[in-house]
Amino acid sequence: MTGDGVAGRLRGWRPAVAMAGRNLRRNRVRTVLAVLGVCIGVLAVAALGIFGNVLALGADDAIGDIGTQVVVSPNADAGVESLSAADVAAVRRAVDDPAVGDPAVVPLYSDSAVVEGASGQTFATVYGVEEPGLAFEAAEGRLPDRHRQGAIVGAGVAEDLGVGAGDTVGIAGSQVRVVAVLAESQTFSPVAPDDAVFLPESAFAADGYAQALIVAESGETARAAADAIREEVNAREERVDLFELAAVVDEINGFFDLLSTFLLGLGAISLVVAGVSILNVMLMSTVERRQEIGVMRAVGVTRRDVLRVLLAEAGLIGAAGAAAGTLLTVLLVAGLVAATPAVDAALVLDPTNGYYLLLALVFGVGVGLVSGAYPAWKAANERPVEALRS
Amino acid sequence: MYSVELRGVTKRYPGGGAEPVVALDDVDFAVEPGEFVAVVGPSGSGKSTLLNVLGLLDDPTEGWRLLDGTDVTELTVAERTAARKESIGFVFQDFHLLPTLTAVENVALPTAFDPGDASDRAADLLGRFGLGDRLDHEPSELSGGQKQRVAIARALINEPAVLLADEPTGNLDTETGESILAEFERVKTEGVAVVAVTHDPLVEEFADRVVELTDGVLIGGVPAESDATDGPQSDRDAESALTPGDR
Repeated sequence: MTGDGVAGRLRGWRPAVAMAGRNLRRNRVRTVLAVLGVCIGVLAVAALGIFGNVLALGADDAIGDIGTQVVVSPNADAGVESLSAADVAAVRRAVDDPAVGDPAVVPLYSDSAVVEGASGQTFATVYGVEEPGLAFEAAEGRLPDRHRQGAIVGAGVAEDLGVGAGDTVGIAGSQVRVVAVLAESQTFSPVAPDDAVFLPESAFAADGYAQALIVAESGETARAAADAIREEVNAREERVDLFELAAVVDEINGFFDLLSTFLLGLGAISLVVAGVSILNVMLMSTVERRQEIGVMRAVGVTRRDVLRVLLAEAGLIGAAGAAAGTLLTVLLVAGLVAATPAVDAALVLDPTNGYYLLLALVFGVGVGLVSGAYPAWKAANERPVEALRS
Repeated sequence: MYSVELRGVTKRYPGGGAEPVVALDDVDFAVEPGEFVAVVGPSGSGKSTLLNVLGLLDDPTEGWRLLDGTDVTELTVAERTAARKESIGFVFQDFHLLPTLTAVENVALPTAFDPGDASDRAADLLGRFGLGDRLDHEPSELSGGQKQRVAIARALINEPAVLLADEPTGNLDTETGESILAEFERVKTEGVAVVAVTHDPLVEEFADRVVELTDGVLIGGVPAESDATDGPQSDRDAESALTPGDR
């Protein structure tokens, strides 16, 4: 039943579209120019939309999962110099909750020292860590579950010193075997593991941790963990400072959202201009064809059918322009990827970019129909006796 | 029963000044099926208005309008459009064919948006008017006489009760004009009432009846030997016959 209804409605449009096609062919230059206008508008919307999206995706990729870490450090303003075992226990209790994703808590001792290797020496941060596997990944060697002996070397330090797993490095005068080299960090973190060396906690004589690293699964759980710590550990006294990257990531994402919207807006302006040009073309065309439309009405063509013909004309202009614009966008983006090695093809092939193509396509056809609506309505409702008089 | 009939129709247009322009003044007009009536009169006498009112393109300010005996004085826009399509054929001085459509498509235009294909009927009609070899020609490829034949065929596609022609020979030479009028004679033998508004004496020669319109007043609007039987109609006939003499 509904299928018949739809088919019937489409049948009603077929002669209208056929007639519209011929009317558009009558003044080819004008039609082509109107189509070109829509094409450029759609190109602008789609291309700028995709550029914005690629930028945002690229930034997301580069920033990576920095938003998943929270750094807890002692609040020096409140006279807290280091995190005691009780503080760490409090932090663990605070985040030990499925609602915050049960993130890993990695307390760190911290110092700095000159580290010597085969090919030179460098000044590095030296951390004391018990469970390195919770926060880091090894590129060479294996991270021990419990760090009892030897050194784990950050990627940057290993490269500077030319050492690998199995070599020895000198740290503050004593020789330590390298048990693992960390994978290069993909994320920005205040801990900066690339330029650090990780020793067992036993190597430190300090009476408190310098900081604790909370490693969550996602930005959201990191934020939840930070909130939980703020509520529970800092409930009575501001004992710890929290450094949350999730907020920074939000800021950055917010900026890119704004940029995308701004770029889309720029594109939309050109699409509006295209809409005005369709409006102009359709108005001119209906004024020129006033008598013809009057004749159609006089011989018994209904207002609805006249409206259909004219809407079909505007819609065809919009559809042709949108299709051409979409195709051009695909070519443009492909060309850009081919010509710019810096642009990662995977980012451009991201399915979210298809959404911008679709959006532009729909907008193109929509602009055609909206701009054509007024002239079509005006022409269809003119009294035939007046249209014929001129 | 008349194919089309006006009773006491007045048409006023709001003029520039305080006084409205009276285009038709209490006009009685009737055409029998198969009758060819020529309406003559000077420019501005209201001939076009008469044709527009007859053709349901314009509504009378006062009076009644009947089409095949049915009152069509007050119809909605959609009803008027449907009635025009069903019962009225138009032939214009400038032919008014759509330039993008072929001869066959122009003839089938009134039915172009209906389900079903009227091309065969259109082709038959064009064949009858001697244009069987011009079916797929566009108007620009046709002569004036050929265009007017296409226009007549278009007017007949829905087998109307009335054919209304506005200066049908106005843009044609005498010879072509004659051939077009001969087509009208054929059309009327099929029972179609033909009303032609004209300046052309040639049209008067072909017409069964010539009525004259002067300043919105019509003389001889209703056939003398009326076969209408209703009383008021006869009264009205008598009245209208007197009217011109009063002025």
